[in-house]
Parts: sequence; structure tokens; C-alpha cells
Amino acid sequence: MSELRRSLASRRIAVCVGPGGVGKTTVAAALALGRALEGGRALVCTIDPARRLANALGLTALGNVRSRIPAARLAQAGLSPPGQLFAMMLDVKRTWDDLVARHAPDPARRDRILGNRLYQQMSAALAGSQEYMAMEKLYELANGDEHDLIVLDTPPTAHALDFLDAPSRILDFLGNDAARTLLAPALGAGRLGLKLAQLSGGYAAKALARFTGQQVLLDLGEFLQSFQGMYQGFKERAAAVRALLSRPEVGFVLVTSPSPLSVSETLAFERRLLAEEMPLAGLVVNRLSEDLWPGPAPLPGPAELSRELAAAGIASDDTAGEASMAARLSATLAAHQALVAAERRALSPLFSGVHLPCAMVPRLESDIHDLSGLAKVVAAL
Amino acid sequence: MAHPTLLDRHLVFVTGKGGTGKSTVSAALAVLAARAGRRVLLCEVNAPQGRAGPLLAGQPGDGALAELYPGVHALNVHPGEAMSEYGRMVLRFRAVYHAVFENRLVRYFLRVIPSLAELVVLGKILHEARSTRPGGGPRWDLVLVDAPSTGHAVQLLRVPSALVDAVPAGPLRHDAEWMERLLVDAVRTAVVLVTLPEEMAVNEVIELDAQVRGVLGMARAELFVNALSPSAFAPEEGLSLTRAAAAPFPLGPAARAAELALLRAEAGRRQLARARSALDLPTTLIPLFPSAEWGKAQVEQVAEAIAAGWAEEGR
Repeated sequence: MSELRRSLASRRIAVCVGPGGVGKTTVAAALALGRALEGGRALVCTIDPARRLANALGLTALGNVRSRIPAARLAQAGLSPPGQLFAMMLDVKRTWDDLVARHAPDPARRDRILGNRLYQQMSAALAGSQEYMAMEKLYELANGDEHDLIVLDTPPTAHALDFLDAPSRILDFLGNDAARTLLAPALGAGRLGLKLAQLSGGYAAKALARFTGQQVLLDLGEFLQSFQGMYQGFKERAAAVRALLSRPEVGFVLVTSPSPLSVSETLAFERRLLAEEMPLAGLVVNRLSEDLWPGPAPLPGPAELSRELAAAGIASDDTAGEASMAARLSATLAAHQALVAAERRALSPLFSGVHLPCAMVPRLESDIHDLSGLAKVVAAL
Repeated sequence: MAHPTLLDRHLVFVTGKGGTGKSTVSAALAVLAARAGRRVLLCEVNAPQGRAGPLLAGQPGDGALAELYPGVHALNVHPGEAMSEYGRMVLRFRAVYHAVFENRLVRYFLRVIPSLAELVVLGKILHEARSTRPGGGPRWDLVLVDAPSTGHAVQLLRVPSALVDAVPAGPLRHDAEWMERLLVDAVRTAVVLVTLPEEMAVNEVIELDAQVRGVLGMARAELFVNALSPSAFAPEEGLSLTRAAAAPFPLGPAARAAELALLRAEAGRRQLARARSALDLPTTLIPLFPSAEWGKAQVEQVAEAIAAGWAEEGR
């Protein structure tokens, strides 16, 4: 077991974060599969808008409800975990609707909110909405005791920062007192058609209406008013989610790849998580090329390899010069080792700056599109 | 060399799965367009510090509009600044703008009205795309956008049409309408897709392509398949390589490297074929350039590879 798996053994929630394209989803799924192979009940949950997790698990689709990966499917991949593996993909709109339904005091209020144009727009498309709902879902799952490990996959860094900020931003939206105070009395009196300028009597509101049109503001006012009385419930829950994230049973796992861009973004992310006092559990470097020529010995030239080929009794076609097998072998090994060296240089700022339990996952020569591929990643973790 | 279908457009969005090289391809296309005599604006929206711009400049910049390469201006569009600029445009006078923006309530509304931040970011870009020079004629021949990855790009680009559906008549809707018209204008505007020759990336680009056509209704110009691994070995040599890989140092490691290169190249070819048959788009291949540093030299290398690919296909 690697340092990383040991670090995660004591945690119940792992949140995978990192730049795009480094294989975060695969690593998240592998961490869950690893726990299932150790006998645990593990769940992996992705919020990525692209459907990668289903792909990696060999499922055609995943929904907002967790589904168990059937034992038969695992057996096909040569896996017979003593534990259980579950997966789900977050449906942002559904999670919002569930949240509204839970907090609404009565069905009429629920329906009024669910039917509001701005609500529909917001729940599907408001930036950060996805991340907020991921945290909400995580909280719901974490409060159950059906899982020994819940692994959350997140969108790439530019947006992953959002999942720390989104709840407060959206709560600010739902609970802004100034806005409600301004809009609610007029709305409550049923004077929806009231001129916005009259509402505040101020220049600011008139100017604002030039941006958005008056009706948009009135829609928003109606929406905010529907939320009246529900806000406290939302706020308490968001605070609980935030508190959950800094508990020691949670561990953030930084996932990166050996490219300069991924490394610098990973470093920025680590600084941010430290500043927020989030518990970091480890680092995964994914898709590392294998070092085939360790040590200081010079790389073999064509002549040397040509002799070796002959000694091994391998017929090498063999034209002389650049096209000969020996020459191509020599060039290919040199190119491979150049890649290894480039990756090592790219990673050096990470290793000098970040001291976390680490796992290195070699680049596998086939895509991780099924469970047996995923099992290879588990082995490396 | 000029590329009639891509570089002759006025507005091009580059998108694809995270980590496929969108920023590099965007920067390389900007270089090619500039070399063909176009005045290019390269816009990015992804990272506060920028990606494509610093690649061309060789150093991180402040994201302000600057000529980072002969003929290429770059601009990092931040939601906050785009909002202020939009505000000044609508309100016309700086003094009025301050009076309004210092109002706490106004700031609140601007921040929370659904999708307004995305709308002003996109609005800033589209405004640049249709701005004109003092003497007449467009200010930029080509506005290239290093767009967010798959799902987030679709979210950004569908903001105008979503607002047209959700928002009643008014200034916001008026802006959403002209923006939507420009986005779906197949003569001026197109989406460029970038993928790696890997199964997951290809799955994602196929799905993205369907959304660009179905959800966004935008034209697609071209598919770039990035980081194709070359192999100096033919599939028939695989057996010899496997035998040689079992040999000790130094033949073993050399043969293993060759085996890996062959496997990767074959897998790449399979995925390339899948992408080609699923997307039915002009496809340009970019070889893998292993490097520990990415900067102007590497972008130029990629630009040359793209130009060579275009020349080969007679485009």
C-alpha cells in the first residue's frame, strides 16, 4: 500500500482536485475501487459535465442516484472485491429541486419556486451552481453511514476554485437583505407592475434597469420573496457543509500530470487549499512515463544495439543507416528518455514545494475505459 | 500559409477536453493567421494569469490588451473588468458609472443576476469581434478565443440563447439577441475542436460536437488531433520487439521503448480513425513535441506542424 492509500485509510471522504486532463476522474474511480477491493463500501461521485466516470466504469449512463457496479461486471474484469463499489453522477437541476422541496414550508411555495423563470435558469446555468450542489450532495451522502469511503471528483481548477466560493456566493444571492427589503414590500402588496424607480426612488435602481430591463428585476424580486423564510435553512446547511470539509475525516487529494502547466496549476491549488485550512491527504502524479534507462550510463548507439540484436538472434531486416532497426531502436530509446527527463524537470517544483503522501501512476498504454484498466491504476496507487 | 475555411473566419472558439492543448492550438492558430497578414486578437477566459498569452509572450502578463507577437494582440477577459466596461458603455459617463456602481445594491444585482457575468465576458469578446477601426473596416480580421473546456464552453456559449428564452424584452435581452445572431452566423463564426488521440478524449469530443450542432447551432470549422505519438516501427515488427524486450540491458530497454512507442502509435491511430468517422470534419494532426518548457518556440513548432498538415491536404 502506498503512502497515499495509508493516508486515506483513516478518512471517510476524499475530494480529488486538480487541473483538467490529468485523469482526475480515473484516479477518483480507482481510489473507490481500491477501497472496495479492501472490503469497504465505496462510492465515487462525479460532478463533471462530461460523462467520463460512466465511461471509466464501463457503464453507459449514471444518474443522480447511486448505482452499484454489479459483481458480475467486476468479475468480468477479473475482480472479486470483498467490498462494494457504487457510482453516481450529479444532476445539478435535480439536486436543486430536491433542496427546494426539502426546505419549502408547503407544496404551493415549492411549486412557485420551481416554476419561477429565474430559478429554472439559475439552477441549470448559474456559474458555481454545480459546485454548490456537489457540496450539498456530498453533505447528504456523508451524513448517511452506508459508505466507508466517498470519493468526490471535481471539475478542473479554473472552476474547482468555485466549489469553495460558490456556496457563499449563492447564499448571498438568496439571502441578500438589502435586495429583499427593497423589493419585497411592493411585491407583497401585489403591485408587480410598480415602476422600479418608485421602489427605491433612487437613481441606482433606474440605472440598473437600463442593464437588465425592469421585468428581470421584478422576476428576481418575486423569486427572492418566495425564498423568504427558507434562507435560514439553506444558510445553516451551507455552513455545515463548509464545516464538514475541514473535518479530519475528509482528505483532499491533488491530482496532477507531469506537464509544466499542470504542475503550476496544482501548486496554485495547493496554496489555496492550505489558505482555506482544508485537510490535504495526498498527491497523485498520473501518467508518468517509465524510466527505462536509470543511472548515468550513456544511451546505446546503433552499432552496439546491432551487435546485441545479432547476439539475441533477432533478424533485423536489415538495411544499414538510419532506417535500420538498430538505429531506430537507438533513436526511440533516446526520445523516450528525453520525455522522462522532461517530465522530471516539470515535476521538480512540485516535489520541492509540496510535502504530501504521494503516489506515482505510470502512463498505461491503453485507455482506462474499463474496470480491468482501472484495476491497474489501483495497483499503482 | 492561408487557410480558406478557418483563418478566413472572423470569430473562432477553440474548445475540447481539459488538457488536450487548447491554449497551445489557439496560440499556434494566432501565429499562423498573423503570418498570413491578419490582424489577430487572441482572447482568453480561463485562468486569471492567462495561458495562451503567456505562451506567446514567454512570460506571464497582466492580461491587458497588448501585442505579444507580431500581428497578434492578446487579451485576458476577466468577468469583473468586463462588467465595469459594459457598465461604462451602457451608462456612458464615468461619473454616473461610479455613482451607480458604488451602490451596494447595484453591485449585488450585477453579481447575482443569472449568467450576467458570462454574458458580459462573452459580450466583451463579441464586441471586439464587431468593432471597427476609425477609418472603417473591422478592427480585427480574426478574433480567436481560447475557450473553456467542453461542458463549460457549452455553458458559456449558450448564455445568449438561454437569456433570449428566459428574459423578457429589455436591454439585457436586446444584447443577448445580437450576440446569439453572431454566434450562429456560420460564415463569420465557427468552433474549433481539439482532442488527444485517446479514447476518453475522443468520446468527449464526439459528445461536444453533438452539442455544438444541436444545443448551440454553431458551425464547426475543424478538428485538431494533438500530441500524436510517432512510431518508427511497423506493426509487423511488433513480434521482434517483444522478443528483444526480454533481452538484458542495453537491448531490453531500447526494445521496450520501441514497443511502447508502437503501442501508443497504434492506439492513437485507432482513436484518430474513430474521431474522423464520427465527426466528419476537416482534421489536422499535430505530432507530440515532448518538452519540459512551453513557450514561443514550441508554439511556433506546433504552428508549423499545422501549416504542414494543411498543405498536405491541399487546404
